[in-house]
Amino acid sequence: MNGIEPTRQLIRPCTLVYAVLMLLTVVTWGIGRAGLSGLGVSLTVLAFAMLKGHLIGDWFMGLRGVRGIWRWVVVAWLLIPGGLISLAFFLSYRS
Amino acid sequence: MSNDMKISSATPGDAQRVAAPNYPPGDLAIWIFILAELLVFAVFFAAYAFTRMNHVELFNEYQATLNRDAALINTLALLTSSYFVMRGVVAAREGNNAFCARWLWAAVAMGVVFVVVKSAEYAHHLGAGVSLSTNTFYMFYLSLTFFHFMHVILGMVILVAVAVKARGDGYSVEDHTGVETGASYWHMVDLLWLILFPLVYVMR
Repeated sequence: MNGIEPTRQLIRPCTLVYAVLMLLTVVTWGIGRAGLSGLGVSLTVLAFAMLKGHLIGDWFMGLRGVRGIWRWVVVAWLLIPGGLISLAFFLSYRS
Repeated sequence: MSNDMKISSATPGDAQRVAAPNYPPGDLAIWIFILAELLVFAVFFAAYAFTRMNHVELFNEYQATLNRDAALINTLALLTSSYFVMRGVVAAREGNNAFCARWLWAAVAMGVVFVVVKSAEYAHHLGAGVSLSTNTFYMFYLSLTFFHFMHVILGMVILVAVAVKARGDGYSVEDHTGVETGASYWHMVDLLWLILFPLVYVMR
């Protein structure tokens, strides 16, 4: 949420974001529950997590309406562990 | 540093977009702290993933001993608490301290759910004789999740402090930086768990 946005107008999209977050979480849990594995599955689950993190940063933390470097701080952070985890899983499947 | 100074509104809830701010909501100091925390956890996450490379079978075997249902409940609880905190910030921006406090107490209740479920998980593992020295997987599992657990506790303390102040009419349309600051910290706690959950409980 951003400090200068009309506050009431934020509730509906943030509620929709909340529903998407819950849905992606249940899908992730379902993948784990089904015992699915493999590089593609792992990277898909990680991509869900990164998307969820991006939504939290943009809508709940309020970075969506911020200018400059702070706008991208959560996205940049997500890419660091996301990239390293992807690399590690890629290498473990390759070896 | 607050964005509130840039709001030009005649009535609460009637704020108009004037220009995108240069800084995120809340005090800038909390964002420096958040960045430091995020980087520390990024190192932990990478360490887990690269250590796993050399112990894939061990990690997969012991990951299967974790309770994914508990992790699901905890993830849903944290996401719900983040949503409640967002509603609390909206209420504070509109000058509605009573609603702000209620949403924050609801968020704290979701935090309590997380703490209870996670404590039950720890009790189960510790009761089974699991410790940091049991094996590499459990070392990462216990240290990573407990480090995060401590952040949840701190986040709840912050939310309680903000809720108490809101209940005492301590915020206004002009000055609610404290609510945004506490909210930003809590969202960070949620953000960290969103990576931790799939990495430790699901990815194999």
